[in-house]
Amino acid sequence: GSNAIIFCRSRSSAPLFLARLKNHGQTKLSAKIEHKNQHNNIITMGAEEAAAAAAAEASKKEKKKPTNIVIPPKKPKLSKAERRALQEAQRAAKAEGGGSKPKPKKGGGDNNGAASNNKASGADDKRSTAEGAADGEGQENISGSSATDNKKDDKTVSLFSHLPQPKHPTDQHLSSISSTIDNNLHPAVPTLGHLYQTHSLLGGNARCRAMLQTFALLLQSYTPPPDTRDFRVDVDHSLLKPAFQYWTTQCRPHSVSMGNAFSFLKLAVANLERDLEWNEAREILLESLEAYVTERIQYAGKAISRHAGSKIQDKGDVILVFGRSEVINRLLLDAALTDGKTFRVIVVDSRPLLEGRDTLEILSRAGIPCTYVLLNALSYLMMREVTKVFLGASALMSNGSVLSRVGTACVALLANSNHIPVLVGCETYKICNRVQLESITGNELGDAEEVAFTDCARVGPSNRWGEEKKKDGSVLSDWKSQPNLKLLNLMYDLTPSSAVTGIVTEVGILPPSSVAVLLREMNPDSAFKGTD
Amino acid sequence: MLTMTSETSHEEQLQLQKEQQHPVIADLCLHLSSKSSSISAPSPPLPPHPPSADKPPPSSSTKKSKRSSIPLPVAAIRVLLNVIRRSKAETMMGLQADLREASDVMVNFAKLGGPIPAVLINDNNNTTNNTQQQQQQQQQRYLLAGRSHIALSSGCELFLKYVTRASLETPDFTSCKSQVLERGERFAEFSLAARDRISSVGGPFVREGSVVLTHGRSRVVESLLLRAALVEKKRFRVMVLEGRPDAAGAKSARTYEKNGIPTTVVLDSAMGYVMERVDMVIVGAEGVVENGGVVNKVGTFSLGVMAKELGVPFYVAAESYKFTRLYPLNNSDLPEMGGIGESLQFLDTLNWSASGSRKNDDGDEKKEESTPTSSLQDVKDYVVNLPSTVEVQNPPCDFTPAKYITLLFTDLGVLTPSAVSDELIRLYQ
Repeated sequence: GSNAIIFCRSRSSAPLFLARLKNHGQTKLSAKIEHKNQHNNIITMGAEEAAAAAAAEASKKEKKKPTNIVIPPKKPKLSKAERRALQEAQRAAKAEGGGSKPKPKKGGGDNNGAASNNKASGADDKRSTAEGAADGEGQENISGSSATDNKKDDKTVSLFSHLPQPKHPTDQHLSSISSTIDNNLHPAVPTLGHLYQTHSLLGGNARCRAMLQTFALLLQSYTPPPDTRDFRVDVDHSLLKPAFQYWTTQCRPHSVSMGNAFSFLKLAVANLERDLEWNEAREILLESLEAYVTERIQYAGKAISRHAGSKIQDKGDVILVFGRSEVINRLLLDAALTDGKTFRVIVVDSRPLLEGRDTLEILSRAGIPCTYVLLNALSYLMMREVTKVFLGASALMSNGSVLSRVGTACVALLANSNHIPVLVGCETYKICNRVQLESITGNELGDAEEVAFTDCARVGPSNRWGEEKKKDGSVLSDWKSQPNLKLLNLMYDLTPSSAVTGIVTEVGILPPSSVAVLLREMNPDSAFKGTD
Repeated sequence: MLTMTSETSHEEQLQLQKEQQHPVIADLCLHLSSKSSSISAPSPPLPPHPPSADKPPPSSSTKKSKRSSIPLPVAAIRVLLNVIRRSKAETMMGLQADLREASDVMVNFAKLGGPIPAVLINDNNNTTNNTQQQQQQQQQRYLLAGRSHIALSSGCELFLKYVTRASLETPDFTSCKSQVLERGERFAEFSLAARDRISSVGGPFVREGSVVLTHGRSRVVESLLLRAALVEKKRFRVMVLEGRPDAAGAKSARTYEKNGIPTTVVLDSAMGYVMERVDMVIVGAEGVVENGGVVNKVGTFSLGVMAKELGVPFYVAAESYKFTRLYPLNNSDLPEMGGIGESLQFLDTLNWSASGSRKNDDGDEKKEESTPTSSLQDVKDYVVNLPSTVEVQNPPCDFTPAKYITLLFTDLGVLTPSAVSDELIRLYQ
């Protein structure tokens, strides 16, 4: 359990000390007196008692007879686990007051509560720097998610307790509507937020494009208040920031693509001239938004198609793809339809999102012969027929590792060990300046319910959360009442740079070690300048 | 395109000759065969019409003129300089178009390259019944032998980029053109001096008393090792792989021995056997690709893997104009490399040398003092003739991925393989 070590200055007072505590009914006291030297006695004892005892000892250094000592009321005899839980609750309450992440653990039986708390306090720092692609959003993230912790039960996995819990759409949405009316948020904002939250809109490019379109809408309907001296500050504070925060904290944590685009927009606003008319400024902003989408997303996708297409050999290539990636689908379609190459595609899919079904539909409608498997059949294919692997990415770290849908690392590592080249297609605007070494520090949690229900009869993403789940037949339907069972649903994982043969960007095909160079050249604003 | 029989009419032959005697090509061959011309001197005015029998280019007067040690890309760069001087373009775009056309012609030409194997020529070694044009073709192929087109295309590409980069300030085209010419000359000088720079940065890596293994005939590696031996006065041994099918290693062994470096020649297949006794491996490169790997004579990949496995450092010496934007994923992903490896001849040299130079079976060992012609006759008896259904593959080059390479010695300094992409991004930005 947790112990406190008290150094007593005077040797003579030690036995007296112990006697005092014994009088207070502590039968579970275990005292070890070690005579280190003449001057110090070391006594180990229980935690709460130690606090009380230290206070008492300090006040009563000289007196031998404890006449006016404050006698704490008799404490109930708690078991070790209960004591620990109580301590955790106290610590959590203290932490909540300081603004860091709370972790209420109700009831007993949570053996790694203490361990998680220690990890959490250490991981907090990591997380706040790890999450902040857009500066300052990290803080809002933490404070915003604390509101939902009250509903949480003890089903959090401690290793990932530094990540915000996924938002449940049903109740959150209703409460948030009223709050958005108060905050003067444009109705487009919660609309898009709902799409994010329900996983109706998936994929880095799609989310970023939708976000920028919404921002364009916001800018068009915005007029600066008459009393502002500098509308740029106002635009940033009352228009852009609240919307972004709303999406990130109330709906779904933002992706790196969204973060980079948002940084770009803020920079564009900041670079406007002071004395510009709002209409002019708006035109400039809308143009730059348009240019960003066209250049960094659309044209980049075309360039990636061209570069990667040169790697697809006609007649005989068997290409493996995982999940659904806009860039990869596009390059395969271009190779098949525009360049007229013949090749086969194997689509690997994984639960619970099952995005590969969309890929399968898109590619097979274009006439490309496809095979569809789930992730557990991967090794069978890899060793036999795959010649190349094309993967998409959500973000590129500056050390060349790839953050992508969970399962991607599996595919890449297996391909690597079978000496099959792995190409990752990613636009340069998704490069972020942080370095991540594993999949734990920077990730996103999905709803654990998704893992429990093996029912695959979902028609489309819109049914994902709204419908009543079919409870019959699922083995894990009562997982919440199982005391020792926790379910974990991660959204992303990290592929190390050693497993990637080449990264296809609009600049060309590059080795993973050159991502940092690209960051310097293409995203000079977000290149690492120090902690932001 | 290349016809061995001279049945075609004179008209068609002239046509063929015209195609292959593009002024750029002629210029290139001139540069390749000259000893060392200064860069600033303009080339002699080229004949407007491809020459027929009366005015042969100087290189074909002898059967085989001396091949200069100039690297193919440097010769190409000089050709491009001449193109700039001769160009009648009035704008930057026009000049670029001219340069691009010239470099395309040269790259296509280089893809042909490589000598016709001696055995296939049916006794046409002498000048008598060859037409002038065939001789020229043969000559050209000889000049191009052993030179890959990768370095040529990358060199031309870099030259173009370098030369046209700082040409945006001056509004006047003639001053622009002279500026371009000046930059080009500087680039050519830089490239020519690259070998010396590489030797000086790479020399210190050869330690006293070490055994150096090399493969293929790279002038850069030769100059590096010679400098270490002669200038830095180090004592070391060189081990050379024979280098089938062009005996490149054997030829370079001659150079080393002549300069006093003790040399050992082994079979290509013995590379695993000798690797334990070797302290470092150094090879040249046809091209250095974007991911830091190198394309070099076939066998380099095996050397790389072996060296890595046995803990021997593997160094590559290459000039920076060999950096190319290719990105091979594996050995099957290399671009088409024509020319050099056409058809392999399989020779049982063990029994041939055992039988002596005379064709007799009595087992007497005769000294090899016979005339070249007779030994050629004897060799034919030991050639293993395969039926036509047997497929023979002879890739001239292979690709060594970056993870097997320790360091690259370039004229930009000593680089790690991952720095190559950095350089390329800078150069092509």
